[in-house]
Order: sequence, then C-alpha cells, then structure tokens
Amino acid sequence: MSRINDVGGMQGFPEVGPQADEAPFHSDWEAHVFALNRALIGHGLYSLDEFRDAIERMPPARYLESSYYEKWFHAVTTLLVEKGVLTAAEVAGD
Amino acid sequence: MTERFAPGERVRTSRVDPSHHTRLPRYARGAVGTVVEIQGSYPLPDDRARGVASEPEPVYTVRFTARELFGGGEHSVTVDVWQTHLRRCDDAGNGNP
Amino acid sequence: MSGEHGGPAASIAAEVRHVETLLEQRGLVNSAELDTALQAFLARANPANGARVAARAWLDADFRARLLTDANESLADLGLSMGGGLQEQRLKVVQNTEDVHNVIVCTLCSCYPIALLGPSPTWYKSEAYRSRVVREPRAVLAEFGFALDPATAITVWDASAESRYLVLPRRPAGTENLDEHELAALVTRNGLIGVAAI
Repeated sequence: MSRINDVGGMQGFPEVGPQADEAPFHSDWEAHVFALNRALIGHGLYSLDEFRDAIERMPPARYLESSYYEKWFHAVTTLLVEKGVLTAAEVAGD
Repeated sequence: MTERFAPGERVRTSRVDPSHHTRLPRYARGAVGTVVEIQGSYPLPDDRARGVASEPEPVYTVRFTARELFGGGEHSVTVDVWQTHLRRCDDAGNGNP
Repeated sequence: MSGEHGGPAASIAAEVRHVETLLEQRGLVNSAELDTALQAFLARANPANGARVAARAWLDADFRARLLTDANESLADLGLSMGGGLQEQRLKVVQNTEDVHNVIVCTLCSCYPIALLGPSPTWYKSEAYRSRVVREPRAVLAEFGFALDPATAITVWDASAESRYLVLPRRPAGTENLDEHELAALVTRNGLIGVAAI
C-alpha cells in the first residue's frame, strides 16, 4: 500500500492542539537544513519531487520517530549520496 | 494535454497503488467527487520524482464528501488531482479507471 | 558521529555542520551566503503578510472579489507575491462565511503558503494534524479551543498538488471603526490556516 508519509485519514494519532510552541525552527541546525535544502534545489542538484520522494522512502518506523527537520536532513544526505556528490562514508564522517 | 473535465463534472479517482512517488493520497483513491476548478497544467510528479520527462497536464480541485471518503462525517474534503488519475464517472457509479 | 556528547540534538547539529562543511569544501554552498539568504527569506515571508491580505479583503470589496478569483494577481496590490518559495506558486484563497468554514492541510507532506505565512508551525507538519483533520475536522478544531457553530459546514482543503491555500477568516463583529492596520493586527496565523476564529 501507500508509503508512510500518506497518513491522511489514518487513525490512532494523538490530539493536536493547543500548542504552546509554534516556532518554525527550534534550533539553529533546523534553520541550516532548511537553508541548505533550498540552496541545493536552487542549484538544480535535485528537484522538489525527488526531495519529497527521498523523505517518503524512509523506513516507516524511522519516519515516525524522526522530527520534521530530521526527515529533511535524512532526505538531503540520501540525495547527496545518490547523486554522487558525497559518499556515504563521508556523510558518516568516517 | 487538453482538459478532459469541466467544473461541476463528476469524476472518479484512479485506484493506482504505485511503488513510486505520487500525489494522490490513499484516502482519495477510487473515490467519486465533483470537479471544483481547473488549476492549470503541471508536470506529473510521479514522473518528475523519477527523472522521467513529463508534459504538463491539467490539475483539478476535486470535492469529495466525507461519507464517500470515510463512510461517514458531514464535512467535505477537496483534493488536488492530476488528470492522469481521474476518470469520468457516469451516474451509475461505473467510472471504471 | 555517534560519539558526540550532549545527546541526540547536539549530535544532529554536528552532523549538519559536518555535511555543510563538506559541501562548502566542494564549492557547492557558502555558509555565509546561506545565512544571508535565510535571514532575507525570513524577513520577507511571515504571517504579517497574510494578515495584511485579510485586512484589505475585509475593507475593500473589489480587492476581495479579485483575491477570491485570481489571488496571485491581487497580491501585487499589497506589494506581495507567492514567489517567496523556490518558484512562484499558485495561491487559492478560500473565504469563511456563516455557512462554510475552511481549513487547510497537506496530508502528504507540508505544503503551506510560506510566502504569506512564513515557515509553518510544527503542529501543521505533524502526523497527528495531517491524519486527523481530513477525517474529523470538528474534533481537531475543538482541540485548538475552537468550538465552531454546529450549523456551519466544514471544507478541508488538502494541498496535494501545486496550489497553496489561505483561509480568509470572517471579520470579527465590532471592528467597523478599525483601519486596515488595526484590523491586520487582529489576524492570527492560526486564523489564516482555519484552526481559529478571529
């Protein structure tokens, strides 16, 4: 069936609001991932559709336990490796 | 690609279940709704996400009743659907994709 | 990067820095330029834009009519555009009335009128909001403390393609003497998403 991102209508998720913290970025690294992704798409390294696809391909359990910008960072590094810009070893810091 | 549907027309969404990226949500597959408006033409993301060349095609805002989508509820939901994923729906409900 | 001290947050911050450094070494990005671009973007894209749109629409019937039929075109009146993202996006403004209340969502990811509202709040991107608001919108609104009149119908707009949606809230009663600036100050981001009344 569908990928894990396709949650519309799914049951079992918790209550939504009210939210005390509605800030778009909770720390500096999130803003950096946001800016980095915009720059890489802007450079034509990958498209927005490829970026969404890379998020959707995450293993379901990991998708659900990751924060929003953790998903983004996962997709950015996945695409950088798949496009041959960086090796997986480089991303891992080996 | 030319526009196959007009506002007010009843349409049925495809039952596709692709292994690749798509923008047709699972909850709105195989459902009957009414075209609200035509948004313009855009390449199919199912193709773009795979690096496949794609001609722009019409995208429609389609309104569904919650009853049609979820078997209950009084509200309605609109979903934006590429023409590839829509079929004309006759009144007998046999809009086979 | 698993040996970092300071827990998972510190670890991912270090991972992001590491990848950014690698890309900088390859000449693909420049950290200073990224910072400048981000600050410029955030200065342009914030909820004050959406609030100005709503206030103008409440005061000017001609603007409101154009906003509801061709939103992108009418934004130019206010010096705004939907070009705050990577490319100009189509905007669709949906008007709340006594009979119909509108709510926006992106069930598949997080599509949002970022040029008019800035980056979206965390709850908007949560699986909880995305899964539930299409199925039980009235219950979700109640969780935001918004008790919608039971006689008012709800339409949920799932931004599953290239359009971005903005809700035009109902003008609050007792605001007849307020000017555009004062009206805009009343408009909240949640009101423009459709999870609050103004």
